[in-house]
Amino acid sequence: MTTSTAGKPRLGATGAMGTVIKVSSVTKRYGPVVAVDRVDVSVAAGEIYALLGLNGAGKTTLIRMLLGMVRPTEGQVSLWGTPVSARQRAVWARVGYLVETPAAYPELSVRENLRLVARLRHLPDSAPVDEVIDRLGLREYAHRRARTLSLGNAQRLGLAKALLHRPPLLILDEPANGLDPAGVVEIRDLLLGLAEAGTTVFVSSHVLAEVARLATRIGIIHNGRLVRQLDTDDLAGWARPSLRVSTRDLASATDVLRRAGFHPTADGDGLTLPDEQAVAAPDEVATVLVAAGCPPTHLTVAREDLETYFLRTVGGLDGGNG
Amino acid sequence: MGEAIWAEVLKARRSRLPWLTVLAFTVATGVGGLFMFILQDPDRARAMGLLGAKAQLAGGAADWPGYFALLTQTIAVGGALIFGVIVIWTFGREFSDHTVKDLLALPTSRTTIVAAKYTVTAIWCLALTTQTYLLGLAVGAALRLPGWTTAVAAEALAHLMATAVLAVLLVTTLGLAASVGRGYLAAIGVMFLTVFLAQVIAVLGYGHLFPWSVPAIYSQIGGTDHPTVGPIGYSLVVAVAAASVTATVVWWHTADHTQ
Repeated sequence: MTTSTAGKPRLGATGAMGTVIKVSSVTKRYGPVVAVDRVDVSVAAGEIYALLGLNGAGKTTLIRMLLGMVRPTEGQVSLWGTPVSARQRAVWARVGYLVETPAAYPELSVRENLRLVARLRHLPDSAPVDEVIDRLGLREYAHRRARTLSLGNAQRLGLAKALLHRPPLLILDEPANGLDPAGVVEIRDLLLGLAEAGTTVFVSSHVLAEVARLATRIGIIHNGRLVRQLDTDDLAGWARPSLRVSTRDLASATDVLRRAGFHPTADGDGLTLPDEQAVAAPDEVATVLVAAGCPPTHLTVAREDLETYFLRTVGGLDGGNG
Repeated sequence: MGEAIWAEVLKARRSRLPWLTVLAFTVATGVGGLFMFILQDPDRARAMGLLGAKAQLAGGAADWPGYFALLTQTIAVGGALIFGVIVIWTFGREFSDHTVKDLLALPTSRTTIVAAKYTVTAIWCLALTTQTYLLGLAVGAALRLPGWTTAVAAEALAHLMATAVLAVLLVTTLGLAASVGRGYLAAIGVMFLTVFLAQVIAVLGYGHLFPWSVPAIYSQIGGTDHPTVGPIGYSLVVAVAAASVTATVVWWHTADHTQ
């Protein structure tokens, strides 16, 4: 099954508007622990780049390095060609970010939290606090203290802080955390709209289905290493096809197909055949099964979705095959 | 700097801590007044049940200089503890509430954020000192304490403020401890350690050379037996403050912020 990228901005890795994020051979070590290992990433203006990885893979460390919160042990991170450091204040005026779980001053209201960020960002008093409150669906909670917010609304407040100054670059760590399904769609549409308007978006996530719908490019990070980068449009080319077979007697069908030289694996209520021959000629598989007295009830050629691709990529690395 | 100070003031205003610190120094001033009331007439106090039948009162005089001395000593002790709590809260809350990450990649520099925190806490502490003085004037007037002169009151104010400034300079260490310790606990530990060491070293007779003993010795909390604080002692207090503020700024800039 291929992944739809309808509605996504169509800029490639070397987009016409130039490189916004450049991560060059970045390594971060904490004593003997290598959190990020020689990572290279380049993100062009208008792209939605998604960093995929399991918990502890190094996503947040990389994001903190993008934001100057953690200093690389080796390598360099730059935004718009300017090396990232705590002293590069001009760069931070152009970046909106959300790192890990959203935080807010609990005794301040939603509006006060946003006003505080606006002041620290040197925005005028006419800063679009109300606009961002409406945009993130926080109007009802504007006067509520942040400590009373649900996780989903706290996440919306975190996103509102990131969007408040209309930055050309958004760096978002797990932006869909805590949101209900409607909220996930809403934020996805919001980010897609921003990217279409030219905002560059760098997100980290472990919600694969969401990434597949959102990102134009995906980087898979595992044990600190960026093990794969691909355009989501090219996922179909990377994702392996297989033949899905349903039959009333799975055990017999498995034996028959193995004797015929295929490599079936049980997959829920059916069998999956990764063999090229099976994908190329499903009719031959059907003929074998019919001849053996266990005819197929359903045959489908399917491509891996992002989840399967990700797990295969990561699993292969863990198995020493990467 | 103005934006960062505005932000710190907003955070402080919305918390309960300002009211708690006002309450603490109000109670301390009131207790000082009660002590004066008892000293004025111990027999009356015993009759009112304010003083145990066998209690002996030593030291202190029920007059304006005595009351001002008591208030100054309150600031010396309160400076070590309540001023310390103010600084620990101001820095430590950013780590406990995980809000520090929102302060690290802004057009407002980290130096400005740290400077604003120290500025607001210093103003807060000096405001509490002013409150203590003004409330003390009201309590002393209500008790009709003898010995009032404008010169005594002015000298007391200067002494009180100088003690507060010494205390404010020293609690900067706790801003550093709350930052490096990424929360309240380590800084509270440092606060109690400095209070303990200040006591012990003052008893040993070296308090005039130990910065954290200086405010108490300056306020004559232990009487006039201790060696007076000289230029070295004051210089050490200033050096501790300068080193603490500098180290805090350097830490905010160079540490790996993983929280």
